Amino acid sequence: MSEGETPQPSLHTDLLSRRLLVVTGKGGTGKSTIAAALALAAAQRGKKVLVCEVSARERVSELFGKPPSGTQIGQLAKNIYSVHVQPAEAMREYGIMTLRSETLYNLVFERKVVRYFLRAAPSLAEIVMLGKIAWHAEKDMDRGHRRWDLVILDAPATGHALALLTVPRVILSLVSEGPLATDMNWIESLLQDPKRTQVLVTALPEEMPVNEAIELRAALVKEKLPLGPLVLNSVFAPRFTDIERTAVARGGPMLAAAADAADGHEARAQMSVQYAQVLRDAGVGRDPASPLVPVSHVFERQFGVAALEQIARSLSGAL
Amino acid sequence: MSPSSPLRELVQGRKVVALVGSGGVGKTTSAAALGLRLAVDGQKVLVLTIDPARRLANSLGLDALGNKETRIDLSPLRARGIEAKGELSAMMLDLKTAWDELVRKDSRTPEQAEAILKNRLYQTVSTVLAGSLEYMAMEQVQRISASGRYDVVVLDTPPTANALDFLGAPDRLMDMLDNDAMRFVLGPMLKAGKFGLKLFALPSSIVLKTLARFTGADFLRDVADFFVAFEGMYDGFKARAAQVKALLSSPQSAFVLVTSPSSLTIDEALFFHRALSDARIATAAVIVNRMQRDPRAQGGAESQPALIEALGRAQIADAPSDASIAAQQSVLSASGQAAAGELLSARLARTLGEQAALADVDQREVQRLAAQIPSVPLYVAPRMRRDIHDLLGLWQIHESLGTL
Repeated sequence: MSEGETPQPSLHTDLLSRRLLVVTGKGGTGKSTIAAALALAAAQRGKKVLVCEVSARERVSELFGKPPSGTQIGQLAKNIYSVHVQPAEAMREYGIMTLRSETLYNLVFERKVVRYFLRAAPSLAEIVMLGKIAWHAEKDMDRGHRRWDLVILDAPATGHALALLTVPRVILSLVSEGPLATDMNWIESLLQDPKRTQVLVTALPEEMPVNEAIELRAALVKEKLPLGPLVLNSVFAPRFTDIERTAVARGGPMLAAAADAADGHEARAQMSVQYAQVLRDAGVGRDPASPLVPVSHVFERQFGVAALEQIARSLSGAL
Repeated sequence: MSPSSPLRELVQGRKVVALVGSGGVGKTTSAAALGLRLAVDGQKVLVLTIDPARRLANSLGLDALGNKETRIDLSPLRARGIEAKGELSAMMLDLKTAWDELVRKDSRTPEQAEAILKNRLYQTVSTVLAGSLEYMAMEQVQRISASGRYDVVVLDTPPTANALDFLGAPDRLMDMLDNDAMRFVLGPMLKAGKFGLKLFALPSSIVLKTLARFTGADFLRDVADFFVAFEGMYDGFKARAAQVKALLSSPQSAFVLVTSPSSLTIDEALFFHRALSDARIATAAVIVNRMQRDPRAQGGAESQPALIEALGRAQIADAPSDASIAAQQSVLSASGQAAAGELLSARLARTLGEQAALADVDQREVQRLAAQIPSVPLYVAPRMRRDIHDLLGLWQIHESLGTL
């Protein structure tokens, strides 16, 4: 914690004591990495965590060096589990749960023509996927206790994430009664409750990811979704003064590699400082519930659990 | 395969150049840079982006771009002595506007257009339907390409994690809008809609009843209305989707795979390549963006003792880091990056090691990519040391790339 920052010691425990953390942001800004590091941070505090992956390929299991979990829950590390949420399987689980009859489900939903209908019907994939995730976060019970202390959704990139998270509002504007409306109501209240849900946005210190993060946060606020921390990934901190760099650059051939490395580092450091400022100017961090959290670039040659631990420490330290 | 000719020659004479790849790999910037290059060489070029995040506008130095083709003023390049022989235009696909225009154009009567535009389901889901974005992108490419206004359309495709999503999306959308299953399931309702019955007959089949237990009957009725409204428009949609498919899989189109050197995106690039092959589409080239420069290539001291000696010879003080740096770091509130008082030689050695590690990892990943797709020309662009937000910056991309 640097000078001028108000320490908020309780925030970290608060963040990890939510039911559901949603991680989204522009493609390539490290959503899966942050989701995995959050899972690690929570597990290290003794929490039992389920990470839900929804993209075409599972990445979190890979980051832990484990094979893909698939649509059955798989264990990635002590207290860390993951599941690949896929529309067809989620539909089946949701259908059986709602109809309270597997026979009826099979009779109706396993018909080829109905399967085809469900695949094509607008928004159904999002409905059942979100339904499954919310169920794990809120209603998945094991002998009277919640099975999961924390559910982390490694969400799709910006636009698709918004489409997923706003499904309850869209559906409720169309449907006012029946089980679907009932479900969409409790899911919407879970998603909009800052005590239970936080949406973390990831960005990189570059122009386009930062612009997108600012716009995404505005859209999330408009949808009444609670903003959590903005994670600025892959930050380089300034290390050299201009005077030092000029001197080294003029220092002759023996300092050529060093001068080039210092220039490369400082170019990224200046961008890190510049875009952290852009984010602060756009109001990020003004609300203590939604601080700017810089995460230093990780120089591991093999990106694995060691790198995740470093990022988890970085997250814990900053929060 | 190391490229024997510049990318612009590789795509010469193509009507459509589609850049595909996962999110965050610099696709939009590559599309803009390639479009600019082709325009300078004398072609009439349109760069079409799908992304609402203003990326293309940013890199072309514009505040915003809309659903209209916008001519880009290339005169700023004269500052570098470059006179463009062709023309560059850009456009950002606005999904809602594009859908509304298509409905107006393709509907049989103005009444049908109104019925669709007023449909609640259409209003809420036309922009979020699976495959909707991809279908519209294809539709626009086909329309613009057929208009003959441009020699080439450079398409910045939506960032899908799966190439099949992109290629198969128009089919999926067509399936959705015109499928027998839909007719079968919603049959009774479709009839009700068609005859304009105000009173809605309760679903008779067990299928419809069970579905209604889920969604409520209202929702199914909206779905039925939606399909009724589109009645008669499918043939136009289908014909165009077929044309787009034919255009994209013909030699008039080139697919360029864009990636960054991180292992996850390289994996995705390989996955894309396989998906394209499966669809019998050749990958014309691969661009690897943001390659880390290897500082060791410059030569000189690397270890801290050698750096201490070199600093001494150059009469540079091996001083501890100064307080002004800590002040700069406060905005980042990042801890422990530059330990207070760390000597210049130590900071240089550490930085060199880190930058070299980044370069090694990138190099290793690019070699892995090249080894797996040896027949595809591979172009490598270095990581830019500043943001690109004007034409001169875009031009610099291929100056540093050399081969674009």
